[in-house]
Amino acid sequence: MSFETVISSIFTLAFIATVIRISTPLILPALGGLFSELAGVINIALEGLMLAAAFFGVVIGTFSPQWFPGLPFWVHPWLGALAGILVAMLLAWIIAFFHLELGADIILTALAINILAQGGTVFIMFALTGDKGSTSTLASPAIPNVVIPFVNNVPGLGTLLNAENLTGYNIMTYAAIIFTVLVWIMLYRTPIGAHLRAVGENPAAAASVGINVKRVQYMALLLSGFFSALGGINLSMGYLTIFQANMTAGRGFIALAAVFLGNKNPIGTVIAAIIFGAATALGAQMGTLNVPNQYIEMIPPFVTIAALVIYNLRRRAQIAASARKFQEKMQTEQEVV
Amino acid sequence: MTEKRKPFLLDLLRIVTVIIVALLLGFLITVMVSEEPVAAFESLLTGPFPKISMGEAGLQLKGINRFGNWLEDSITLILVGLAVAVVFRAQQFSLGAEGQIYIGALAAGIVSLFISAPLAIHIGLALIAAALAGFIWGWVPGVLKAYVNADEIVSTLMLNVIAIQIYRLLLTQWLRNPDAGYIATEFFPETAVLPIIIPGTRVTIALILTVAAIIGTWFLMMRTPLGYELRVVGDNLKFAEYGGVNTKRTIALSMAISGALAGLAGAHLSMGLLKQLTLNISLGIGFEGIVVALLARNDPKAVPLAGLFYGYLRTGAQIMERSSDVTREVVLIIQAIIIILITAERMLPLLQEWWKKRRHSPDELIAEAQEAADVV
Amino acid sequence: MPPIVELKDIIKVYPNGVVANKHVNFSVEQGEIHALVGENGAGKSTLMKILYGLEQPTGGKIILNGAPVDIQNPHHAIDLGIGMVHQNFMLVPSFTIAQNIVLGREPRRGQFINTEESIRITEQLSREYGLTVDPTARIEATPVGMRQRVEILKTLYRGANLLILDEPTAVLTPQETDDLFEAVRRLVDQGKTVIFITHKLVEVKEISDRVTVMRHGEVTGDAIYTRDISEEDIAQLMVGRKVLFRIEKPEQQRGQAAATINNLGYISETGRPLLRDVSFNVYAGEILGIAGVEGNGQTELAELLSGLKPPTTGEAFIGGQSVLGHGPRRIRQAGVAHIPEDRLTNGVSLPSSIAENLVVDRYYRSPYTRQGVMYPRQIREQAKALMQEFDIRAASYDSPMGALSGGNMQKVIVAREFSSEPVLLIAAQPTRGIDIGASEFVRRQLVEKRNEGKAVLLISADLAEVMSLADRIAVMYKGRIAGIFENGPHLTEEELGLYMLGLKTQPPAELEKML
Repeated sequence: MSFETVISSIFTLAFIATVIRISTPLILPALGGLFSELAGVINIALEGLMLAAAFFGVVIGTFSPQWFPGLPFWVHPWLGALAGILVAMLLAWIIAFFHLELGADIILTALAINILAQGGTVFIMFALTGDKGSTSTLASPAIPNVVIPFVNNVPGLGTLLNAENLTGYNIMTYAAIIFTVLVWIMLYRTPIGAHLRAVGENPAAAASVGINVKRVQYMALLLSGFFSALGGINLSMGYLTIFQANMTAGRGFIALAAVFLGNKNPIGTVIAAIIFGAATALGAQMGTLNVPNQYIEMIPPFVTIAALVIYNLRRRAQIAASARKFQEKMQTEQEVV
Repeated sequence: MTEKRKPFLLDLLRIVTVIIVALLLGFLITVMVSEEPVAAFESLLTGPFPKISMGEAGLQLKGINRFGNWLEDSITLILVGLAVAVVFRAQQFSLGAEGQIYIGALAAGIVSLFISAPLAIHIGLALIAAALAGFIWGWVPGVLKAYVNADEIVSTLMLNVIAIQIYRLLLTQWLRNPDAGYIATEFFPETAVLPIIIPGTRVTIALILTVAAIIGTWFLMMRTPLGYELRVVGDNLKFAEYGGVNTKRTIALSMAISGALAGLAGAHLSMGLLKQLTLNISLGIGFEGIVVALLARNDPKAVPLAGLFYGYLRTGAQIMERSSDVTREVVLIIQAIIIILITAERMLPLLQEWWKKRRHSPDELIAEAQEAADVV
Repeated sequence: MPPIVELKDIIKVYPNGVVANKHVNFSVEQGEIHALVGENGAGKSTLMKILYGLEQPTGGKIILNGAPVDIQNPHHAIDLGIGMVHQNFMLVPSFTIAQNIVLGREPRRGQFINTEESIRITEQLSREYGLTVDPTARIEATPVGMRQRVEILKTLYRGANLLILDEPTAVLTPQETDDLFEAVRRLVDQGKTVIFITHKLVEVKEISDRVTVMRHGEVTGDAIYTRDISEEDIAQLMVGRKVLFRIEKPEQQRGQAAATINNLGYISETGRPLLRDVSFNVYAGEILGIAGVEGNGQTELAELLSGLKPPTTGEAFIGGQSVLGHGPRRIRQAGVAHIPEDRLTNGVSLPSSIAENLVVDRYYRSPYTRQGVMYPRQIREQAKALMQEFDIRAASYDSPMGALSGGNMQKVIVAREFSSEPVLLIAAQPTRGIDIGASEFVRRQLVEKRNEGKAVLLISADLAEVMSLADRIAVMYKGRIAGIFENGPHLTEEELGLYMLGLKTQPPAELEKML
């Protein structure tokens, strides 16, 4: 396969559409991870929260018609989604409660939630369907895609705006875009956002002005549950309408890495998440050209580690520079005196 | 991971209580989904033990292979548990065991497949390669933490991903056996397969090696200057610095040694259990080792006990799954409950306070406090 | 007019038995600048903590604007119009100045923060009180002087009428100090009242209307008009005439210089010079006492000489070797032992056992480690021997350090450091916060080492202690050595107090001779 073919296959609108699709379940949990990290309560359970939401979305969505036969057809997937969100937020609440009230280590507690989700989903799935691999036997519903009318007539624009097969992006993709904007506004334009960032940077300062640090941290963890749920639902009730054991496949950890690569601000995080998504898409593309996808998949974690190192070195340089500036100022002051 | 040295007996009591509570909750869950929960739980709790009976030929042991499964699984868990115990004892939150297992397995696999040597040397070289590979894979985030203060949680999680990618890359591109029906290498030559030492089981000399690892880790932590440094850095970093310890070197080494142990766990998985390299050589056992270290309070002496206990649960769960309608994942649920309850340090003191408040009236408590102030 | 606030008969006793305030009466007039003066441990910080609701008094009452009040916590104090600017600033580094000022009470436009209003409020307050700040600058990029003004503006934004400034000039350059004083005067012109906690007498004379002096938990100078009192008088009220306990000391056998310190300088991370051109020798067989009010560079001196921080300039020679800048182990190997000022953070490891604590500077050497193997029996034996020799009271050598009392912890530190056969022994605030018995023990041990021919560097804010133990005394002020003196009956506390408070400096020629 020639280099030109490789390049030309990347710079297509179809590729961009693929990246958008793949990045959605990375952007959403990354936003959740951003909240908890900014508030000073890092959440490494994004993976488990996504998984739990993905599972319960499928289950409730499937059984809801049996339980509420009177409801219109389109309501059931949304009930499923709601169930997924509630479960994920409940699990996030458990992390918050045990850490903030009972002094549990937040890393270990989150790890336990990951394990709980991993085991619990398979356990319940087996009890319900007798299958430990997936819910293939269930006819689970999907959260709808959004098809933009008229654009299919314009060459290229259709693929860009309506995804590869013109089936439209999943509503969660639009949710990701909208929420990114909302999150930015919330963090930088509202009082609660300012309080949250203050709590993470200097809890003593926040407490000294009357902010309830614990309450803010509870909220941050619950939000991380909410956003992780959206990502999980996108996986199991979007392009695929099935739950498979461990279907999140590390996306929760990649989402956390995106927060750090993005230097803990919303725009950077989303860009980082898209970079990770693009790497996966590229890897798949390379796969069809007989280039092993692992090379590509390795790049984002490398870049994340490099970013960590660079950010730390930069901070040191900044502190040293401002110290020198101050010293010079003092020396000139003394000369004047 | 702020563990203070609580009185040993109280701590032991707490851990035992937590385990019992978790098992009870697990039983409750089993009741909800199973037709015969009691039978299921019985096979969970007693399955791995061989059944001793008197037959015509004298003492008979049945189910020895299940017993072997228990030991095999425990070996992996103990090695990972030791790895995590070492690094957590130094108060470093390295979560890199999973990746180090893959790297260790890879190194062992390469040596096994591409070098010819007599048995003892072949195995020896493979083990050294695994430990060395794991050592390096742990040393990297250690140095980053020590010298650049790069958060070790993120760096080790990322290195896990990189390790698995490298492993799979090499496996699928160069090491793969095209004749196999699934993605795997050829089986290791006999000189690179760990010999079995308990007949009727698959328990290999890894058992002896693990005992050596336990003793070695204990010796390192309690009888060498480096071990002292690790412990003191974990107890109070500033104190260690003030006393003259090279804390940067200690931090880096703690993660490196942890990596070496996890690498050996990877060698065990590939050379002892599977005798080849497969796509998913570890399914998260690097993280399950954290529970073992947690139960053992990061003490190398207690890791074997915790590892055996946890291995017992996992094996029992497999047996339960085969003989009943309950799936083995219930053990993961129990494990999660154990972790959460054990790490909730303030639970016991809060319960004590609540109990006191219930037994005494508010006036009594105020009077108590005032007295304490007046005594001064 | 009644005073704006009166603290009447305040008693504060801490659970560990320390009496911080003893029948203290303190009243402040509306619209004045009232200086509250005293050494560390005099009780002035505690008194202000009570006023700000950070502590509750054991006895006595507070009357604010004529009405008795019970101040539960700082938020309550803020609601009552009391504001406090602490020494450690409570600011969020990545936020702008305006954001920091309004944090917690942000002006809103609907659901959003009204950023323009925040900036407008900041500018308005800034103009009104003459506190120049740049509202859109991020805190992490602003100098300390401006940060302090932000803290003051914070209190004003929340409606403070009575401002408490806790040692505000400790972190400022001389120019910034002048700016602060101007700002304080303007605050008062606008009708505010300021309580100014300090131990710098020059500033008291410059800025305050009245001054209250405290010593050992009591008021020694009650609301004296500053114009009516001299700095020397204030110094005397602060330092006082106490009965000194003289420890029996044989004639000094002074030997060679065990340690030579040349031109030591240290600049903090934020760029402030904390040590300037410090030079002295410590001779074998003597105790050189470093006297001075805390915060004049003594902490940094000890940290540099123990290897915890590298110096910006200068060197130290122990036994002819230059030892600084290579970390603590190098200095220890050269024969320096150090009793640290910050006992709990540096001196001991609370979760570790007593035996483990006693061995941190020597575990890698024989007989504790031989050929790479550590011998716990040796460590145990040492622990047992040291515990007996130094009368350390604990259940066993295995007990965790956290179970010991403060005094016993200090004994462990002393036991470890003394038993290392040092050439130079540095003791920083060695008897602070520990009971009388342990204090006496530590002092006796220091003198014993001196008699054995060791060199001892005693850094202490307790002037009585320095005067009773030291052979020579060096006074530190603002990071420099203000003077070095032979100790003897001719040397009085008042005299030393003048050097400690910056009122007098030894002429360079004399200083040279005394090095």
